[in-house]
Amino acid sequence: MGKPNDLVQGTLDLLILKTISLEPMHGWALAKRIQQISQDVLRVQQGSLYPALHRLEQQAWITAHWSETETGRKAKVYSLTRAGRVQLEKELANWDRLSRAINLVAGLA
Amino acid sequence: MRFLDKLRLRLRSLFQRAQVEAELAAELGFHLDQQIAENLAAGMSAQEARRAALRAFGGVTQIQERCREMRGNRWLEQLFQDLGYALRALRRSPVFALVAVLSLALGIGANTAIFSLIDALLLRTLPVRDPARLVAVGDPARVSSLSSGSVRNDLFSCPLYEQIRDQNQVFTGVFASGRTGKLTVGIAPSSDATETARGRLVSGNYFSLLGVNAVRGRTFTAQEDRGSGATPLVVISHAYWQRRFAGDDAIIGRRITLNGYPFTIIGVAPPEFFGDIVGVATELWIPLSMQAQVNPGRAYKDRWDVGWLLLMGRLKPGVSLARARAEINVLFPRILAERAGSSFSRDLLPSSDRMRVEVTPGSAGFSLLRHEFSQPLFTLMAIVALVLVVACANVANLLLERATARQKEVAVRLALGAGPARLIRQLLTESVLLSGLGGALGLLFSLWAGTALLRLVGASTSTALDLHPDPLVLAFTAGISILTGLVFGMAPAFRATRVELAPTLKESARSVAGSGSGARWPLGKLLVVAQFAVSLLLLMGAGLFVRTLQNLQRLDLGYARDSLLLVNVDPVAAGYKGARLETFPRELAERLHALPGVTAVSFSENGIFSGTESSTTVRIQGFKSQPAGDPSLNYDRVGADYFQTTGIPLVKGRDFGPRDGVGAPRVAVVNETLAKQYFASGDPLGKRLVITGPPDVEYEIVGVARDVRDHDLRAAVPSRFYIPLLQSGDLDVAPNFEIRAREPAALVEPVRKSIQAYDRNLPMREIRPLTTMIDDSITNERIIAKLSAIFGLLALLLAALGLYGVISYTIARRVNEIGIRMALGARRTTVLWMVLRETLLLALAGIALGVPAALGAARAVASRLFGLSASDPATLATATGVLILVALLAGVIPGSRATRVDPVQALRYE
Repeated sequence: MGKPNDLVQGTLDLLILKTISLEPMHGWALAKRIQQISQDVLRVQQGSLYPALHRLEQQAWITAHWSETETGRKAKVYSLTRAGRVQLEKELANWDRLSRAINLVAGLA
Repeated sequence: MRFLDKLRLRLRSLFQRAQVEAELAAELGFHLDQQIAENLAAGMSAQEARRAALRAFGGVTQIQERCREMRGNRWLEQLFQDLGYALRALRRSPVFALVAVLSLALGIGANTAIFSLIDALLLRTLPVRDPARLVAVGDPARVSSLSSGSVRNDLFSCPLYEQIRDQNQVFTGVFASGRTGKLTVGIAPSSDATETARGRLVSGNYFSLLGVNAVRGRTFTAQEDRGSGATPLVVISHAYWQRRFAGDDAIIGRRITLNGYPFTIIGVAPPEFFGDIVGVATELWIPLSMQAQVNPGRAYKDRWDVGWLLLMGRLKPGVSLARARAEINVLFPRILAERAGSSFSRDLLPSSDRMRVEVTPGSAGFSLLRHEFSQPLFTLMAIVALVLVVACANVANLLLERATARQKEVAVRLALGAGPARLIRQLLTESVLLSGLGGALGLLFSLWAGTALLRLVGASTSTALDLHPDPLVLAFTAGISILTGLVFGMAPAFRATRVELAPTLKESARSVAGSGSGARWPLGKLLVVAQFAVSLLLLMGAGLFVRTLQNLQRLDLGYARDSLLLVNVDPVAAGYKGARLETFPRELAERLHALPGVTAVSFSENGIFSGTESSTTVRIQGFKSQPAGDPSLNYDRVGADYFQTTGIPLVKGRDFGPRDGVGAPRVAVVNETLAKQYFASGDPLGKRLVITGPPDVEYEIVGVARDVRDHDLRAAVPSRFYIPLLQSGDLDVAPNFEIRAREPAALVEPVRKSIQAYDRNLPMREIRPLTTMIDDSITNERIIAKLSAIFGLLALLLAALGLYGVISYTIARRVNEIGIRMALGARRTTVLWMVLRETLLLALAGIALGVPAALGAARAVASRLFGLSASDPATLATATGVLILVALLAGVIPGSRATRVDPVQALRYE
């Protein structure tokens, strides 16, 4: 929707891939987990996770299956594919480079 | 793996849409429910929990839509949606769909037909190995010419070919191919002596250089170039094999006779290979070394002064066309300089301005047809493009009306949240669907039209152009279909989506129809004006071409064009020699004269409108030649009573008679132009004219003939003289007999029988009335006149339909107003005039725009006109008159309907 999403797009992919790499989970759990891990700093609008998830699924980096939750409801659970793992490595390396560069610039000031 | 996964997902979202959608809804629903449950647990009320969950989540519909967009084939889904919708919309208005598709089919079909001719004639490359490296040497249009008497730069003799082949550094090889002349084929057990085939004499490297391999047997090798008459072998085309031998497997080794000489078939060319000439499919290939056997009595293979071969070379790697051109143009004069005086007389050398050899890309082969028809084809292409423009305008107008009628629907969809871009895309899909249907139908139409066109081009010639739509033609059709769809769909689509929602939804569609345009010249009317302007241009062009044709057909030729029958007979090929050649023409002439209905018979070397001409350098008594040399004049060698028979009037002096035979004093007749040019003041009678030798031969001028057009309708009559054939020494010719009769067409069979009775073995060409031959000489003009008239009328019809539509539509909108006027006492004539005035206004606006365009376009074709100027006022006036008349007709029908409006009903109509 708004411009900020474009800003965090790459980061959002990274967050999703990283989080799912720990264990397969459904969208709701993912939203909660990201919120938790980032200690409420990254206030991602919950809904905007889904287009991102679907895009990653279309890229075949993550795959989905339906499974039953404890409450007996069907939920769409995402897990990382082999290609997704490779992609995650790439994104992490990218992030590492970017953040180091930014740290460098920030440290100079 | 990953690719397969992606593909699976895409296919799933395409074909299991319902399930994918359900899953999406379930997934988002699950998320919301979880959030609501959490909120409830935190102590919110049910309503509050739901609202907070939705707020945290964001707009559900939007997110769903964004998720859908993440599917890779979203655009494809939408396209299917749009297509389905467009099909339903078209089915709801079948008349509209039919009219639109048909007018587009005509427009696109005509364009495709002309383009496929252009493609076949100009663009397509020969079906051989790497055609791009082929280079044509000589004039590629002279495919079946034979010229003797000098060394030429456009057509080569065999010795010259061999020199060029052996001395050049730019080609990996050079092959030569030349005419066979008429080829009578004898295939046992058939005894039909008149069966003919299209053959070509080719050098031994012909097939290998082109990279064409035999599908049966073998092709020629350099071996076939050795010796004269040593290799009576022939390769036949696949089509000929199928047609004449029913694809017989035992074809190799079959013996046939060509002009009486026995040959053996050694191979069959592949099906796609039609030879090196585009437009005439070759059926038999014969080695060059067999020239003397194929043309009995005429051996010229070793003569330097007979040009009859076209050359084609294959560039060495890294050599450019420009370099090849430069090299050939150095080589040609060098070879001639080396050989002149030893191999051939210096007198045979081409003049210095004729030393440049044409070297052009050879990928598209040689073609006479290309030379003759590329210009008219481009003219026709422009014409049909304009017809398509008119058709597009028509469909655009129809769409505009529809758009107005659909304003409410569009407003509803916009109000429901459809983006304008999405709507425009959908409307464009509809118009591209229309043009696609039109294009498909047009392609079918063009297959028929292309063949019909070819028949028009070559009813008498054996024209064979492959008009199968190849990928280029298909791409062209698809391209113009999509383009036209976008062009005529764009304006109506933008117009349709520029709707003010509130008023449109509130009021009836009809009363707001004018809003948004409001102007005095809404788009629909502008389109009609444009149609009329283009129609005027096309009508003007058609008028000019038709009148050009009429002028040519009615041209006073100066002799008896309607009562002459011509036949060409070849005594040399029949083996006549010496004294027999001397007596033969008069014997046959007498025999033909005896036929009932024949009033006179004579003969001449070149005939009339036969396509052959002779010229020679002469010295004229009392005339000082220019330093550059003696003048070169056209001449013909004719028989006794030539002028009486042909009806060419003699201004002075006498006709040739039986007394002007061998041994009698040599005499000549000159035409008026020659008399005027060379004997300005004096009387030419009694003066001498010398055909320069060696040896010089002197003739006494005994007559002056009227200038006549006997070889070309358009060009100015050149200086010409006539001498008796029998006095000219060389009798080695195939004379044309001119037979005068009141009904020449009725004499074709009697003449044929009479010649066969004289000598069964005497080869003769088609017996044709002069009128037919003259018509053949203006095939171009006939095609252009016919087609431009057809297309002009088609455009006019479309424009009239467009006008009719727009006027009917305005009247429908003004039914209220008309009702009020009539209720207030307006007379029917007033109402009718009101409508007609609008019609006329549109037509006149179109004419005002069209006149300058027509005059401009006419100037571009001025060189093709004859007997009238490009701005011929009568033609322009006629075109304008026709246009106004048609406009009035198109206006009268809706106009008279308007006068029958019942005021009471009209006022209630709202």
